[in-house]
Amino acid sequence: MSATVQPLAIASGALIRAASLSWLALRQALWRIPMLLVITLVTFLILRGVPIDPVNMLMPPNASAQEIAELSHQLGLDRPVLVQYLMWLRGALSGDFGISIQTGQPVLPMVLQALPMTLQILFFGLLSGLAMGLGSGMLAFRARGSVLEPAIMSINGVMMAIPDYLWAIALIVTLGVGLQWLPFIGPIDPGLQVPNITGFLLLDCLLQGDLVAFGSALAHLFLPSLTLGLCIATPIARVLHSSLIEVYQEDYLQAARLRGLDENTLLVRHALRNAALPTISLIGVQASVVIGGTLLIETIFGLPGIGALMIRALGSFDLQTIQLLALTYAITVQLVNMLSDFTLRTLNPRLRIAP
Amino acid sequence: MTALSVSLGRRTLARPGLLFGAGFLLLLTLLALAAPWLAPHDPNEQDLLNVLLPPLWATGGSLDYPLGTDALGQCVLSRLLYGARVVVIIMAIAPLGAALIGCLLALLGGYFGGWLDWLVERFVDLWLSFPAVLLALILMVALSPGVQNVILAIVFVDWARFCRVLRAEVLLLRRRSYVAASRIGGAGALGIIWRDILPGLLPTLIVLMAMEFSIAVVAESVLSFAGMSAAPQVPTWGGMIADGMGSLYSSPYPLLLPVFCMILTVLAATFLGQGLREAVDVRLLERAGAA
Repeated sequence: MSATVQPLAIASGALIRAASLSWLALRQALWRIPMLLVITLVTFLILRGVPIDPVNMLMPPNASAQEIAELSHQLGLDRPVLVQYLMWLRGALSGDFGISIQTGQPVLPMVLQALPMTLQILFFGLLSGLAMGLGSGMLAFRARGSVLEPAIMSINGVMMAIPDYLWAIALIVTLGVGLQWLPFIGPIDPGLQVPNITGFLLLDCLLQGDLVAFGSALAHLFLPSLTLGLCIATPIARVLHSSLIEVYQEDYLQAARLRGLDENTLLVRHALRNAALPTISLIGVQASVVIGGTLLIETIFGLPGIGALMIRALGSFDLQTIQLLALTYAITVQLVNMLSDFTLRTLNPRLRIAP
Repeated sequence: MTALSVSLGRRTLARPGLLFGAGFLLLLTLLALAAPWLAPHDPNEQDLLNVLLPPLWATGGSLDYPLGTDALGQCVLSRLLYGARVVVIIMAIAPLGAALIGCLLALLGGYFGGWLDWLVERFVDLWLSFPAVLLALILMVALSPGVQNVILAIVFVDWARFCRVLRAEVLLLRRRSYVAASRIGGAGALGIIWRDILPGLLPTLIVLMAMEFSIAVVAESVLSFAGMSAAPQVPTWGGMIADGMGSLYSSPYPLLLPVFCMILTVLAATFLGQGLREAVDVRLLERAGAA
């Protein structure tokens, strides 16, 4: 082999590797589309089992049999279920997700209007959950050997068992009703008016320069985010604690300690980065649980997000709304999954090698 | 063998969490069974002259209603006792159903492999990527309210959890030499699954079932809190919590008492699950022995 061929071979090898890597990422992203489709199909099939007749709910009580038959035909309800699904899908692809029987309005704008509130809760919930989980996990690890470590971990274990909606109630009873520190109903004080610009309430307050409204919205968001955060923090603390123990067995930490680094630098600058990897994949795995948690939290705190919309739609058999919201939740879960995959790949070079 | 079972018994007794969990759930079961005799009132009987009475120990409490009354004047103690029946039934049946379906699919996919395995794995992926609460709620809209439908919904949602773990276990067990020996000895697929694979799955299965107790209780309480669980005339703790939220400012007891029961039950189920897991899990055992 001559000397000029070799760099070329290396370069083309790198190119092939880069191409196969992006192909891998693309394939992972594309694979989510059929999954979303099957989720919509499963939801569609389940909702066909609803024991009420959607046509009867749309028609006035004195409608004739012929009118009912006409509307059924118009809605495609006299066709086979699979054809009905394909009709829904065709509408969905052109942005037409049907009409809500609660309001008579198209479903899509309704959902899009409610979505920012849920995303806000999700964002602040994840943020506070990460902070509390990483904090208590590191604290427990830093106190290893003392009584504090088993104490923190068993309190964590007890807290992990308590479901999200009970946390919501506990926080309302103690901090809301008992101590009256924080508001717990609605997104903002009833007297305040904020124009809808981006849909994200906090952002709109800032854009208006209305700091009073911003403070009120932030205060109203505190307890819901804390509730969601508590549910995320407990498993994070546990996983971080055990992965820190594992990371500390590795030679590179011993080497760093021998170089004379103090324990805090060791923990934060050297161990945390590696120990955080299982934590991030945990968030990816737990994404569906966390996002499901927003459902009841929104209802309890009276926040107009998609969870509250969903509970109302479920209560009034609003099938089109339920169908679109199920898809919205599924997409949100997939996005959080993609985000955690991406973060993992950025933090861990070992994952960047295509198999 | 006897030494092992003796040490298993001792390990069980040495775990206060396990004892508390098992003891509390046993007590709950007995209370639920005896509800018609223990309850001072019919759970749906409304005494509109005595609404929002405080419990016995608070000022103004009366012996007629030991734990007070809710906003409709219904006896909180009676409703808690009858609500415990739903909890116990769900805890007894839903994990069994989810285990049965999850195990069946795990064996089908894991043992036979091929396109069947691919399909099972994809469905598990799909199920775990969708919020469980949401799937159960949508299912409850399609089914009508009722305890048996709640069980159906929980089974329909939670089989995937079992299937994921058990399938991985089947894949490992299938490659063991004793399975190969059975196959060489002329055993059929069903015989191998029944005699060689299933006994090997048992420890994992017990652990998963134990963990499912608390998951099923929480799932039911979420459904009944959202008003989509048992028929309206059947009292449930989740339903009581939702009703209690409405009268929170007038009297906190109709809210706090069911919340307290719920938390105790979930903790007991969790402790039972963790305790069983530590007592049964061979890998944890080996680690403890090595240390």
